[in-house]
Amino acid sequence: MFSIKKVAGIAAALGLLAAGAVSVPADARVKAAPKILTVWADSNRAANLIKAIGTVAEQTAGDYVAGYKINVVGYTGFDTLKTAVDAATSANGPDIILGANDWVPTLAKDGKLAQFTLSSSAAKNFTANQLGDLSYSGKLYGVPLDINNVAMLTNDDLTTVPTSFGEMVAYYKANKDSAGLTRGLCVAGGGMSWGAAGILSALGGSPYAMSGGKAKITGAPFTVKTFAQNVKDQLLNVDGTPNGFFTDSDSNCKQDFIDGKVPYAVIGNWEWKDYVAEGFDMKKLSCVPGIKVNSCGAGFGSVSGALLTSFAAGAGDDNAAKSFLNDFFGSAQGAMSYEKYEQRPPANKAAAAIASPALKGFGLAASKASIPQLGTFLNGGAKDTTGLVLGTKAAPGTKGANVPTYWDALPALWSALVSSDSTVRKDPTVASQLFANIMAANAANSVNN
Amino acid sequence: MRLLKGIKIAVILKIVLVTIALAVLGFLMQAALLAGDTQIGIFFGIAIFLIALVYFTRISIPLKFFLPGVLLLATFVITPVVYTISMSAYQYKTGNILSKPEALKMLKSNDAFAQVPDEKKFDLKLGWCDEKYGDPKDVANAPVCALVSYYPDNIYFLSTATTLTPLTRDRIIFNKVGLPADVTKVGAKFTWEPFYEDEYATFDKTIASTRFKYSKPGTFMQAEGYSVMAVYAQRIVYDAKADTFTDIKTGFVYKDNGRGNYANTKNGKDVMYPGWREVVWFENFVNLVNDPSVRDPLVAVFIWTCIFAVTTVVTQFALGLLIALTLHTKMRGRWIYRSIIILPYAMPSIMSIMIWGGMLNTDFGAVNNLIGLIVGHPVHLTWLTDPTLARTSVLLVNLWLGFPYFYLISTGALQAIPAELTEAAAIDGASGGQTFRKITLPLLMQMLSPLLISSFAFNFNNFNLIYLLTGGGPKDTLSGQSAGATDILISYTYNLAFNKGTQNFGLASAVSIVIFVAVAAISLYGIRRSKVLESFV
Repeated sequence: MFSIKKVAGIAAALGLLAAGAVSVPADARVKAAPKILTVWADSNRAANLIKAIGTVAEQTAGDYVAGYKINVVGYTGFDTLKTAVDAATSANGPDIILGANDWVPTLAKDGKLAQFTLSSSAAKNFTANQLGDLSYSGKLYGVPLDINNVAMLTNDDLTTVPTSFGEMVAYYKANKDSAGLTRGLCVAGGGMSWGAAGILSALGGSPYAMSGGKAKITGAPFTVKTFAQNVKDQLLNVDGTPNGFFTDSDSNCKQDFIDGKVPYAVIGNWEWKDYVAEGFDMKKLSCVPGIKVNSCGAGFGSVSGALLTSFAAGAGDDNAAKSFLNDFFGSAQGAMSYEKYEQRPPANKAAAAIASPALKGFGLAASKASIPQLGTFLNGGAKDTTGLVLGTKAAPGTKGANVPTYWDALPALWSALVSSDSTVRKDPTVASQLFANIMAANAANSVNN
Repeated sequence: MRLLKGIKIAVILKIVLVTIALAVLGFLMQAALLAGDTQIGIFFGIAIFLIALVYFTRISIPLKFFLPGVLLLATFVITPVVYTISMSAYQYKTGNILSKPEALKMLKSNDAFAQVPDEKKFDLKLGWCDEKYGDPKDVANAPVCALVSYYPDNIYFLSTATTLTPLTRDRIIFNKVGLPADVTKVGAKFTWEPFYEDEYATFDKTIASTRFKYSKPGTFMQAEGYSVMAVYAQRIVYDAKADTFTDIKTGFVYKDNGRGNYANTKNGKDVMYPGWREVVWFENFVNLVNDPSVRDPLVAVFIWTCIFAVTTVVTQFALGLLIALTLHTKMRGRWIYRSIIILPYAMPSIMSIMIWGGMLNTDFGAVNNLIGLIVGHPVHLTWLTDPTLARTSVLLVNLWLGFPYFYLISTGALQAIPAELTEAAAIDGASGGQTFRKITLPLLMQMLSPLLISSFAFNFNNFNLIYLLTGGGPKDTLSGQSAGATDILISYTYNLAFNKGTQNFGLASAVSIVIFVAVAAISLYGIRRSKVLESFV
């Protein structure tokens, strides 16, 4: 058996051990291994972000967020990224997504994004429109990265930068045959709905009317009569057939412009280097000129964003993600280090100040005239409850029919106005009225979204 | 080695391969369970059990051959079918994709409070407080404590979930860029100790869930990252007993509307997002009939789908058979013709369709150019934008893609018909036409009926052709047409499910089931009529 001394000794040792365990020593704050913050992006953005911040192996914990390293995951394309985001769950979702502003309404409704507040110092670097682009139902979901916009490039081997829409049409008509022009103006970047918004606006149309920096949710978005008349004057012959200046297709636009077969092209700010490589001068960038001399058509001046996901909170990375958004993407230094590789016009004002001439050209086009890209207005969702949105009193449409989105309606409007197929064409006033009705219905519906 | 002595190599190989398969499945099961995909994990578990049972016992020899196929069938056929059927009973669309507990969690955490307008956004430094809890380094007890400051107004204070301690400027130690970095100690007592760098990561969840005390009643502060503190106020309150949310400002009550959202009791259209997937039983099917925005296009699309599938099968079979009959007789260079005829089938259909799309272009397509050369003036036939011509184009292109298949199977079938039958008919004085109608065609039909039926089912769902050639169009979008002239059920369903603006998976699942039932019914009818495979039906 144990002696009394031994028992006392064991008891004392256990007591000391217990006391040591209860009173946590000063160095009880044990250093933990760095955690990983995950950012999803398309492969281009991912590669550029990695160039800016380094790979996980190259980073030291705390380089960008205290206690964290940043892992950037690239998806082969923008659509692939969106598919992955749509399929993401709390089990596999990222903390931050570098995505488009028009993803915000649906992802927020689906509960995949979390609201976020920019610090005062970071907020100063962005405009209200840019922050509005990444907001839904009054809540901000991310930090603006770079401006997505298009600008019109003039082929200065053929002509000079125009000051009005009519000047472009006049040049086309005068030189169509002699210069072998296939079109006068076409959309090389952004497609017939997003990229062509500036052309719609230059002719007097708009997806929604802006008032005091805010989109109106009631009434017609533009004066149908004026727009229809401008279409007739600029895009149609006297007999109502298209004059060929602008067609309803963007196919081959880029190559035709490069080949000198089109004098004016709307190009995207993500592709300007392709044109510089072909010898084009980025100082010839401008907005799409309006009907009045020195006026501008307003395209979308939307932003891409670094979006905070709701998965971050589930993974215990919420504040780390917010810190990265605020301190890296929200700061001029962070934005500059990223845009140095991304080469798009930075949304961050401080970073934009040191941009290249091409980026400044796009920035100028955006600043002269642009409208925010409001997903709740553009993505549709309205129902034609009266049958008068898509029809008339004389011939009402189907009651309860789904009202098309802007993305579907604008290409259809172009076809209705300038298609080479006479069976597709509609009277410009009728077609314009339908488009205006569609946008008005979707704008009114946006209050329920 | 003594253990393995006397055992055949094949048995050893079987044990090794089955063990590897079980190990892989075990790994997948573990990964699925860890990722929270319990159902998938259970499936892998059952698969492991079945594989071990079948291959390590003599319970059933046939199962040793069938089991892999049965498992793959269950994975890739039965599961998607069951999932689609179950989803058709749900309100499952944009805004309603989470489960109710997930949506509720989001609403309570993310949407229940809103930032107070015009309130300051404070600079934040996180650490530990000691005032009540003794040693600040005792992180087990010390609360997360925020050093909050707004230097333009000389505002400095410490905040925890329960305490708010104003500080004077002289207590603040500033860093190199002028931001508060630490707090001076009072006597021997600690006041505040900043986080170690790794503690930000370790305690991120604690920081995120802490509502730091603020001076204004009814408000609190929340960290927005590690350097920003914002002021929030409760916007809505959840009553767990009644399962309702109440908007503090307006007094509106939001109640579960039974359709996957909390809706304003006074205005049903005013719903809260995110919503959740909710069982609505047959509502999606009812909408197919009752909702004119769904029903009208669906009926038109269904009719065209049937016409498209039947016409395709008839024309492909007719042309394939005609060529097969032509080349059935011996002629010089027959193998060259046979090789050429198979070419459209040998080429990837996606490439063929896209090339046809270019050839049918109104302005620069080869087809219009060729017709222009023949008639002597330019023609602008709108092959893909005029509804009638687009439908014709779809049928013609599909004929081009599919006739070699019917040529091949018809050739094979013709060779299987005994020559004595046609010779006997000739001796009896039957003409060529009579022999074909009374002998060759009936025998061919008996042999080829299953293939014709499967071809019908394939073309009923021929998504690639429609999507790549016409995109379902043309359609008069401005007038609200939601289905194009060449849309077939599957392309229409795709648009419903993956529309750019909103997605409606529940409705798309319902349409998919309608397609499945239609194809199954027509195929079954065809099989019965043809009296082929009688023993199987």
